[in-house]
Amino acid sequence: MMTCPKDRNIRKQSKEDMVNLVDNIDQKDDLKYNRRAFLKSAVGASMALGLSTVPFSVRAMIGLAEPDHDRVEIVQLDQLPEGESVTFYYPTENDPALLIHTVEGKLVAYNSACTHLMCPVFYQKEKDVLLCPCHKGYFDVNDGHPIEGPPQRELPLIEIEVDNGVVYATGRQFRHG
Amino acid sequence: MGKKTCWSIIVITIAVNVMMLQWTVEAYLGRDNEFVLLYSGIGIAMAFIAFLTFLQWRKVEYAADSQQQTKERKAEPTSFPIEK
Repeated sequence: MMTCPKDRNIRKQSKEDMVNLVDNIDQKDDLKYNRRAFLKSAVGASMALGLSTVPFSVRAMIGLAEPDHDRVEIVQLDQLPEGESVTFYYPTENDPALLIHTVEGKLVAYNSACTHLMCPVFYQKEKDVLLCPCHKGYFDVNDGHPIEGPPQRELPLIEIEVDNGVVYATGRQFRHG
Repeated sequence: MGKKTCWSIIVITIAVNVMMLQWTVEAYLGRDNEFVLLYSGIGIAMAFIAFLTFLQWRKVEYAADSQQQTKERKAEPTSFPIEK
């Protein structure tokens, strides 16, 4: 009886398991994507996540080591009547801030960059609130905390001091109240 | 420490580190420097724990593997049967 010579190479027809195992076409994948490789990747991911916090902590340490802010003159108190505000820059020329003499007679100061998308914040005398007109964000004038709109964090508080009728900025707090 | 314990610890470290990274970024944006250092410290500690656990798992896993290979070698016949 004549048989096709190629039939000899059809291993899958064999009853021997070991012969069929030779025909493992996914051998490379089996060696590459297995339980051990998965665990190794998981450990790598865990370490990468943990170590990715390092740059933030380095920046935070630099921030902690920064010297205290200077005492900077803002305005003469008699030039700022109740219900008015004045813009100044503190602690650097790139940090605009707002000193407000509220209708209740209180003096408060905040950095005026909105904590949402850094638009300038204005004092609204009629409603006695701070308004960010870009996305209608409102802040409480008494503590700088957001009361309406998209902002989620309070405005940085500028510590002030009145000395001989002159208002000075003496420091800044990011989290307050 | 068994292999299953190692797996559990590594999975837990991943979960904790995801949280730590998120909290670190939040604290950094909120300028809470003390909290940044705290969360970052926990993240680094967890990464270290994950690595040590991996070393332990590797030891157990490959020791079991080599033991099995030794057993298989012993079970193999030393000579082929002579065909009559």
